[in-house]
Amino acid sequence: MKNKEIAISVNDLHVYYRDMNRFSLKKGFKNKGSGKIFKAVKGVTFEVPKGEILGICGKNGSGKSTLLRAISGIFSPDKGSINLHGNSISLLSIGVGFQKQLTGYENIYLSGMLLGYNKEQIDEKINDIIEFSELGDAINRPVRSYSSGMYSKLAFSITAILETDIMLIDEVLSVGDIHFKEKSYNKMKELISDSNRTVVIVSHSTNTLVDLCDRVIWLHDGLIKKEGKPEKIMAEYEEFMRENA
Amino acid sequence: MKRFIKDLKKYKNYILYATKAELKTEVINSYLGWLWMILEPLAFMFIYMFIGAVVFKSNVEYYPIFVFIGLSAWNFFNKMVVVSVKLVSTNRDTVTKVYLPKFVLLLVKMGVNLFKMFVSFLLVILFMIFYKVPITWNVLWFFPIILTLIVFTFGVCTFILHFGVFAEDLSNLVNIALRMIFYLTGVFYDLSTRIHNVVYRTILLDLNPIANIIYNLRNVLIYKSGIVGMWTLIWFIVGVLISVLGIKTIYKYENTYVKVMK
Repeated sequence: MKNKEIAISVNDLHVYYRDMNRFSLKKGFKNKGSGKIFKAVKGVTFEVPKGEILGICGKNGSGKSTLLRAISGIFSPDKGSINLHGNSISLLSIGVGFQKQLTGYENIYLSGMLLGYNKEQIDEKINDIIEFSELGDAINRPVRSYSSGMYSKLAFSITAILETDIMLIDEVLSVGDIHFKEKSYNKMKELISDSNRTVVIVSHSTNTLVDLCDRVIWLHDGLIKKEGKPEKIMAEYEEFMRENA
Repeated sequence: MKRFIKDLKKYKNYILYATKAELKTEVINSYLGWLWMILEPLAFMFIYMFIGAVVFKSNVEYYPIFVFIGLSAWNFFNKMVVVSVKLVSTNRDTVTKVYLPKFVLLLVKMGVNLFKMFVSFLLVILFMIFYKVPITWNVLWFFPIILTLIVFTFGVCTFILHFGVFAEDLSNLVNIALRMIFYLTGVFYDLSTRIHNVVYRTILLDLNPIANIIYNLRNVLIYKSGIVGMWTLIWFIVGVLISVLGIKTIYKYENTYVKVMK
């Protein structure tokens, strides 16, 4: 893999949460919370070559989601750096977040624009998105009237059809009913099998990771515990989880 | 600042589309639709006309227009400040899922409220025609004054947005401050003739930017006069300065906003 182009470089990444947050004026300015620092990610270094599908596993609170959000630019690193080498990126979790009072149709445009598409590009794809989401006429209703299933279907469809160079996937493989679940799983497979696309998947599911990934990183307490072939790592991870349950 | 302009270009379409969509939804979702944009300021105008004309026996010339101009400008400032306090947390769905410069959210709200103010000033024009207000070239001063209001409001709101993320009860404080400024701004009475003490008048009329802006808007639109004094220019410069500082602050801290909201 040495000769391959690198898509994501993460170098000695630290992300902290400080507990100074959300002080109220009542409590006073001098008391800025306990000042405790919670270190979610403490020094993670890895590179993802272009086209690779990287899985990240780890128990709850091990820093997986934080890591993903840091890569997507929502969190700033407290130390270390992330380089995306100019690739466009989207976090395929439960959508890019909708304006609930607006219609599904309008939200497709807004989400698309946030992902860096212009109006014409979205015009081209909007029918595909609506069709894939199976929402039909509901697309012209405000999103707040959607059921949670409809919501996630639309969210998935937007990020799946409006492709980016790097896709970060946070446990979305279970969206909607069984029928849509299979459909989205297959779409996902299709998307990530594109050799130009770099994918990072966060999941608890051994099947998903073994099935889809080229390599798995096991995150434990904000540090990389192990990395390597999915089958090997996932077997060790499962054993570890059982022992420490 | 380079980054600001680059981001502005990048998110221009988003801002425009979101503004339009939001305005459209407001219209669709209310029974009287776009009429609210006219009815709301009109209703308030009647309330303050009653207070001003009946309770305080105001003898201001063109009093309804006088009040309406004040309300149009005040509503813009007031709505912007109120919405800015919780802007990041009301958009938590978006900001926790995708990166966008947080002032973009502010600009969308600016667009929405600017449009409302624009409608409101159209009504002012109708009133001016109805009351046969003599019009002079001085009305062209309207544009620089409104620009001052926009820039100053934006600057204030960048900071409100920033501190609103960290301080939970900032909205209480902001509500009190806004109410105080409202009564000190002379929306429904004439500061320049009601206050006789020169020192107080200077403080209230010049050192309060909103009062200064409203005072001058009335002068140029209905009282045939030009801009009085240097203060509007000074407030424009101050507005630019705090906008720049505000944008810098947002850039510096915006990626920690999401962490705070957890």
